[in-house]
Amino acid sequence: MDYILTSLGNALGMIVHLNREVLNAVGTSLYTSLTAIVLASVSGVPCGAAIGLLRFPGRRVVLTLLNTLLALPTVVVGLVLFGLFSRQGPLGTLGLLFTPWAMIVGQVVLSAPIVANYTVAAVAGADPRILPTAQTLGAGRLRGTWQLLLEVRFGVMAAIVAGFGRVIAEVGVAMMLGGNIRGYTRTMTTAIALETSKGEFAFGLALGIVLLSVALFVNLFLHLLQHR
Amino acid sequence: MEPLLNLNEITFRRGEFALAIDSLQLDSAHLYLLQGPNGAGKSTLLQLLALLLQPQRGTLRYSGRLVDGAADRQRLRRQITLVEQNPFLFDTSVYQNLAFGLRLRDVRGDLQRRRISQALQVVDLEGFEQRRAQELSGGETRRVALARALVLRPQLLLLDEPTAGLDRETLPIFERCLAALPGQGTTVVIAGHDADQPRRLAGTVLELDRGRLVRPSGGPHPLLKETV
Repeated sequence: MDYILTSLGNALGMIVHLNREVLNAVGTSLYTSLTAIVLASVSGVPCGAAIGLLRFPGRRVVLTLLNTLLALPTVVVGLVLFGLFSRQGPLGTLGLLFTPWAMIVGQVVLSAPIVANYTVAAVAGADPRILPTAQTLGAGRLRGTWQLLLEVRFGVMAAIVAGFGRVIAEVGVAMMLGGNIRGYTRTMTTAIALETSKGEFAFGLALGIVLLSVALFVNLFLHLLQHR
Repeated sequence: MEPLLNLNEITFRRGEFALAIDSLQLDSAHLYLLQGPNGAGKSTLLQLLALLLQPQRGTLRYSGRLVDGAADRQRLRRQITLVEQNPFLFDTSVYQNLAFGLRLRDVRGDLQRRRISQALQVVDLEGFEQRRAQELSGGETRRVALARALVLRPQLLLLDEPTAGLDRETLPIFERCLAALPGQGTTVVIAGHDADQPRRLAGTVLELDRGRLVRPSGGPHPLLKETV
């Protein structure tokens, strides 16, 4: 118990004194995860809205595929993208492997299906009168769909938060595509895994506390928005 | 004078139900009462007139011009507004609900505020601008929906059972507004099955039964004849 309490004290000390290693990992995590979730939202929300609103042949297949992608293992995404981005791979010339952008691409692949899936659910549960109401007031199909998304904004926000939760907490993609390079691609999760295995429990704990705080902050933010 | 809307040999089918209108002409600045039992096709006809539904067969002319193509329908929808029996108000303030269609028509600033204030006065809801639309009572919701349509000053205003279930206080406010509209150049079509309404609102009765017009436009309703 003493070991845990001492480590916790050291961890809090690192946070309070803004330990550089901790700050670097937090910065990299936030930069890659926020960029990834913006890109995943830009692609996932319109895709989800289209799948939720349109009736087209093969829609059920698309929905099943999207549901399957929810359970995509991060190491498998890492593995496939590693093959694509490695020097001998088809995208090797881009030189993305072991850069933050490789991690961002992997995180977009992980989170876009989550954002799209939750958006489909939000749109499917929307009041069926929204679109005709917007249209009869003069809106075109696109403006009407935008209005519908505004009406189900809490569902869409939940979709984005769920996607963000997935990417900020994942290890597989960050480890395999980022390479855990100190001060460059080392994120909170990869640093926790590495430092704990090296016996630096306090360091891992400090990052764990920050990671939980980020999750708490995001949820509080969503809660505040819902009650505005 | 060119009729505002002309329907010719229109057929619309949905499941077992079929609406067939051989010929229907709506004149400018005129009030029509679309009557008929439940399931006669009144709401479907209103949605066709609002250009929200597309007939499988037949032609529709607006001010003499053939309505053709999605862009044409969207352009014309700026001159037609439908108020549903159970209207949907966007989850925002009353003001923003009324401003929605005005913004799409580029009516902004002082002119927008003035027109919204006037429309709310007409339905006896002055001072309701900042109220949350989804917290209003049923009668207030309908009045806001009517104001949201009136503020756009449409050439053709379609109302689906606007007075059904209204209390004694709200009914005269509604009917006073509607009766004044033809004098301002608006063509009004009111669907309902209130047998006394033709007596209260002088207008032409169109009677639908099982998807067919049994009393085409032009013929005075017996009730109307008695009272005029």
